[in-house]
Parts: sequence; C-alpha cells; structure tokens
Amino acid sequence: MTITLAGIGYRYAGASKPALIDIDLELGEGEVVGLAGPSEAGKTTLCLVLSGLAPRTVGGQIRGSLTLDGEDVDTWPMHRLSQRIGIAFQNPSTQLSQVTDTVFEEVAFGPMNLGLPRDEVISRTWAALSALRIDALVERDPRRLSGGQQQLVALAGLLAMRPAHLVLDEPTAQLDPAGTQLVGDAIERLAADGASILIAEQKTDLLASICSRLVVLDEGRVALSGPAADVLADPRLDGLGVAAPSPVRLRRAAEAAGANVARLAEAFSGD
Amino acid sequence: MAGSGRLSGRQPVGGGAPDFLGRPGPTAYHRLNPLTKATLATVTAIAAVVLGGLPGPILLTAGAVILPALSARVLSRLLRTALLLALPIAISAFLVNLFFFPGGSQVLLRIGPITATAEGLGFALEILVRILAISGAVTLFYLTTRPGDLTADLERRGINSRAAFVANASVQTVPAMVERAAQITAAQRARGLDTEGSIWRRVRGIVPIVGPVILGSIAEVEERTMALEARGFTRPGRRTLLWTPADSTRQSFARWLLLIALLGLIVVRISAALT
Amino acid sequence: MTELRTDALTHRYVDGDISALDGVDLEITAGERVAIIGQNGSGKTTLVRHLNGLLRPTEGRVTIDGTDASRLTVARLASRVGLVFQDPDRQMFAGSVRSEVEFGPRNLGRSGTALDDAVNVALEASGLGGEDGTNPYDLGQSRRKLLALASVLAMHTPVLVLDEPTTGQDARGVARVRGVIEAVAAEGRTVIAISHDMRFVAETFERVIVMREGRVILDGSASQVFAADAWDALTSTHLEPPLAAVIGQRLKLGSTPTDAALIERLRLHDSG
Repeated sequence: MTITLAGIGYRYAGASKPALIDIDLELGEGEVVGLAGPSEAGKTTLCLVLSGLAPRTVGGQIRGSLTLDGEDVDTWPMHRLSQRIGIAFQNPSTQLSQVTDTVFEEVAFGPMNLGLPRDEVISRTWAALSALRIDALVERDPRRLSGGQQQLVALAGLLAMRPAHLVLDEPTAQLDPAGTQLVGDAIERLAADGASILIAEQKTDLLASICSRLVVLDEGRVALSGPAADVLADPRLDGLGVAAPSPVRLRRAAEAAGANVARLAEAFSGD
Repeated sequence: MAGSGRLSGRQPVGGGAPDFLGRPGPTAYHRLNPLTKATLATVTAIAAVVLGGLPGPILLTAGAVILPALSARVLSRLLRTALLLALPIAISAFLVNLFFFPGGSQVLLRIGPITATAEGLGFALEILVRILAISGAVTLFYLTTRPGDLTADLERRGINSRAAFVANASVQTVPAMVERAAQITAAQRARGLDTEGSIWRRVRGIVPIVGPVILGSIAEVEERTMALEARGFTRPGRRTLLWTPADSTRQSFARWLLLIALLGLIVVRISAALT
Repeated sequence: MTELRTDALTHRYVDGDISALDGVDLEITAGERVAIIGQNGSGKTTLVRHLNGLLRPTEGRVTIDGTDASRLTVARLASRVGLVFQDPDRQMFAGSVRSEVEFGPRNLGRSGTALDDAVNVALEASGLGGEDGTNPYDLGQSRRKLLALASVLAMHTPVLVLDEPTTGQDARGVARVRGVIEAVAAEGRTVIAISHDMRFVAETFERVIVMREGRVILDGSASQVFAADAWDALTSTHLEPPLAAVIGQRLKLGSTPTDAALIERLRLHDSG
C-alpha cells in the first residue's frame, strides 16, 4: 500500500506561520524512509499529518492531499486510519494506556478497541509480541518497565492494529544507550522483515543503517531528498542542522587535517 | 502488516488467552464480584447513617467492615487507611459536637467560655462512629477491588467503553500524579523555593508546585489522547473484553437482599420518626 | 570558590535495603568540568541530589566549601549549587519565558537591574533572547529544555549541575549546551553533568567519573577512562566508549577519546 502526500501544507491552530509548506512525499510498501532535520523543522508535524492525527485530533488547517493507493482519506475517521498507519512517539510512558497491569493487555488494547472477536484479539497480540521479541515480558506491569522496554510495548501495541505503515517520531530520543540499542535493533528487524516505515530521528547513524531513502526538512519544507547514502554524504547537511553520520564526519575531519583517509575507512569496514 | 501476511503467518507463541488474565484475588472476599463489594460498601455507609443510636452502627461496622476485612486479610491496612482518611473530619466533628451541642445541660468540662456536656459527648460519639463506619466501608472496597476490575464489570453490564476507561484511568493516574508532584517540588526547591521556612512562605510556594502539576498534566493529556486515538479508542460501539470478573446468582440475590434490607431500614426509620 | 567533597557518602532509600550510594569519596575543586556516567540505577542521580541537599546522607558527609551540607537548608544550598533537572515540564509554571527565568534568582533575593541583567545574560546564552514574552509551552520540547537551563543559569551559582542536558536535543542544541558549559567553566565555576552521550562527554569534560551500583569504579580524564584498558570496566556497566576511541584502538593509535584526538594521532602516525 502506498501513501502519497501531494502539496501538503499545514498550520497549527492559532499559529502565525505554517509548520509545513508544500510537501510531496511517497511511502511505498516495504520501504524504510528516514526523516531528518533540526528541532522544529516540522518532523513531528509531518508524522502527525501522515498518521491523520493532524488535523483530526490536533486541529489546525491542512491543504493538499493525503491518499492511500490513490484513495483520498480526508473523510476517514481516526480509528479507521489507525488500522492503516500506526504512529509511535518519543515519550515511552505517555503512549501506554496506563490502565493495564500486564504487557499482554496493553498490547491487546488496540484490537480490543476495534471490537474484534476475542480469538482474533488474542492471536494478534501474541503475533505482535513475538515480532518484537517481548514474549518474556507478557506478565510484567508496563508502567514498571524501562524506557526502552516501554517503547517496544508501544510498538507492539501498534503492530497489533496491523497497519500497513509505521510512522516513528524519534522513538529513541528519550532513551539511554541500552534502550536505544534495544529499540534500534527491533526496528532493524522489522525493516528486514519487510515493514514499511517512516522514521524521524536525530541519530543519523541509526538512519544510515536502516533507511533506503532520506528526506531532510528545514523550516517546514523539504530541503534534501534522495537515496539515504547520498543525502547523508551531502555537505549541505551541516548547514541544515543535521549531524552527518559518524563515518562521514570522521572522514571529512581526516581530509581537512590531511590525515590518511584510507586507513580510517579500513577501520570502519570492521563495523 | 496488512497484506504482507508476515505477522499473520507466524505461529503465535502461547496460543490461547494467557492464564494470568483475570488473576484471582488472594482471598474469597477479593474474588467477589466488584458490584457485590460496591453494593455492600454503599449499603453499609447509608445504613450507618440511617440506623439510630450507638450500638447499631457499631455492630454494623463490626459485621460489614471488620469481619470481611479480617477474612480478606486487610484489617491492619484498613484501620490505618480508614483512620487516616477520616481523621480530620472525625476530629473536628467530634470536638464541635462535644463543646457546642445545643441544649446540653450536664456539664463535664469547662475550658474558658466553652463547655463540654454529656449530651454533647453522646452525640459526638454517634457522629464519630458513623464517620468511621463510612470511611471503613469505602476503604474496604478500595483495598479489595482493582479499579480495572470494576470498570470491566460495568462495561460488561453495558456502560459505555470510553466512559469506563475515563473512570478507570482517573483513579489509576493518582499515584503517577503524586510522584509527579514530588518531582516538581524537588525541581522548584533546587531553584530556591523555600519549603522549610515560615507558613507564609510555604503558602506562596503552592503556585510553583501546583502550576506545573496542572500544566504538565494538560500537556500530557494531549500526547496521551493522540496515543489513544492511534489505537482506535474513538471507534464508536462496544469493545471486546478479554476478561470480566465472575458473578453468580447467589451474589446477585445477595445484592438485591442488601438493597431491600436497606430500603426496609429506611422505611422503618422514617415511620418511627413520623410517629 | 566552592569545593565539593563527599566522605564515605552512603544513601539507602527508605523502602530499600540496597545502598543507592555505597561509600562514595569524591573531591571536586572549583572550576572543574566533571561528567558522571553510568547505567540507570548506578547512583548518579542520587549522588547529585546530595549536592544541593534534596537528599541527605544515611551515612557519611557532604561538604560544600568547607561547610557540612546537612547544616544548610535546600533553599540556602540553591545559592551555591544549581541543579537543572532532566524534564523541563516538571518545573514550568510561569506564563512567559522571562518570568520563568526570573523565578530562581528572585528566590535568591535578586531584584532590580541585577535581576534583569542576570536574566538577559542567561536567555542570550541559551539562545532564547527575544522570546521574553513567549509562553514556555509554545516553545518546542528541546527549547524548553534550554529554558530550564537558562532558569538555573540566571541564579549564577558557583556550581552548576546538569542532569542529561543533551537528551532530545538536535545538533545545534547540543552545540549550544556545550557552549554554555564552556562559558560557565571559563568563569571559574564548576560544572558537573550526568550524561549518557559518550561523545558529548569526551568532548566537553576534562574529568569523567564512572559509577556502578552506588560506587565509583573509574575516575580520571576522558583519555584515561576511555582508554582500551578501561573498556572491561565500562562494558561491565553496559557503557560503550565513544566511537573515536574504538576506531583509535582498531588503528592502534593509543587512547583517542575524541574525534580531534583520533584525527591528530592519525595524522602524526603517518608523518611520524
């Protein structure tokens, strides 16, 4: 299933200037697309628009079109869209329902809301837990887990909705290195299994390892777009407030200092 | 994902509903249906007020609060919590009635212009026992019932899913709010807010603590709402329940019996008062 | 200037048997830039909360500038040790950026032009100059973090403690935080930061303290703490050395905790 944004503009309610201007973006099936840019460039807003939360829940004005396989989803209510596009946020704990005592019930929350037959709720829950390898956490209280574990539970809760696309808004921003590793690995596995993902992140190393395409936003507009490797090597990244991935950064520093770039590159091939 | 068949093709680990769903409570009393326990608490609280005299409410408390608390093994916690809950009101009500009971003649104690009378003492004790009975009944219910179980039961009986969620979430948010307030207090103290000084200073310190509690909660509400919507929360109609607390005809019968008994008590008291 | 000291500092929480801090001895002299790293639960947060009196020792002692900290209230200690919390939303309550930043210095008794100057300097340093009237909740999450930083900067304390200052920041935000730390240190003030960003730690702090299970297991320069012979100790507490150190080790260039050190050694190695 392909999501297409055409000429998307968005303004928050009561804001003096638009948060997004003239965005064209296509997310095809099985693609992992990265979204980079400094804070307040519009990454979160774009994620909200893609998921339908803007304007349905967040309010504001939108222009342009969002289509799924060519079909306009303007009139679709949130609960219908949430079964096509799932969205995860940075804060691990606010995504939990806060009313469940076990991870199982937390992950089942979405399918339960959809009114699916009990058997199906149960089988979808097990499948989602298994996809994220958190079967061992089934009985645990979601509120007592680490940030990284809570993010995995949140992702499982989304997968249980069986969306065709996942939109991840800086999922590792508030996590410690252990949590970042845990969530990063899980996302890599989902990507390798053919999931369709749009992931917004500051950590360009993470984006480099999973994304085939990358879009860089600057003040609400698309500043750069193309194959991930090309965009991440683009010298304009720095000026746009995006840190180049480590290998690129170190290579440039070596070049500037007149040091042996080839030796440096060798050291990276060990990664 | 939809269409790709990747997730649906996997063999689910575990298969059926896990057996920890619907964890049974530790005692028989815990395992009673939440509505039964709620009915008992309500009937006890109202009956304590309706019953006349002193022995009535005391016996009621013994039978409908103390004994069940014993069987549910929560007696010590109950006494601590119920007393804590009731203490401020209980103390002030007791003192007011002891000293300011109108028409009291038999003087027990004189402190300056105010007098404690025997009639006042009697009335004060009656008020005290009733307050403790109500507090005890409510606390017993709270200690033996998980909020999620009550709302699940009500949902099964037809209450709107979203309303049930809101009720459930409100109760369960309290510990998180308390923790948040503690963290906010720490942050403001680190910026020089004096919480150890004079009363006046402490009163002025309320805004920098209550402010972020409220503002932070509001900001969080928006995020939480989005997360809920992303999981189909706003879909109209009923949602599937994985588990609901068990009920039985005997319990249903008992609940009706309690309500009828209460009604009877009220009728008796009203007619006694009228004659 | 303030010197911080802990002697056999031990802390046990009321409901726990395990010591959150277990006999920590530390001496931090005025003007030092110190990073404290360690896994969640290693005692980092517990330690820094003793520095401004939010927590009191179960055993042992905390001394600030020669005075036993337990003799001073938190409000008094706030004039010596400023602590910036990790979550800005746990402190924002004012209707405007300016009022928010004024709160701290006002509590310390500043007023008039002295207050205005302190606030202006802090807002400029945090990149929020010009946002005086903005409602804190109209700023994005990362700028609110900078606002929290400004609100403590304005208190102009001899010691500044930062809890995870770069979490959630973009590249510019991290650079801004680094700039603030360098400016504060240049004034001879002490900066202590808890961080899990190893690269940021190596590039900004001259001294690194590693904690595990309530104890200090490593304490030295970034060069020492991230050198290969310390890696076992680091990984024992689930920490990874910065990438520059790893690459430096692979290329057998010695201890290179920062990009600059790595590149310099690489260049010298070729010409040497």
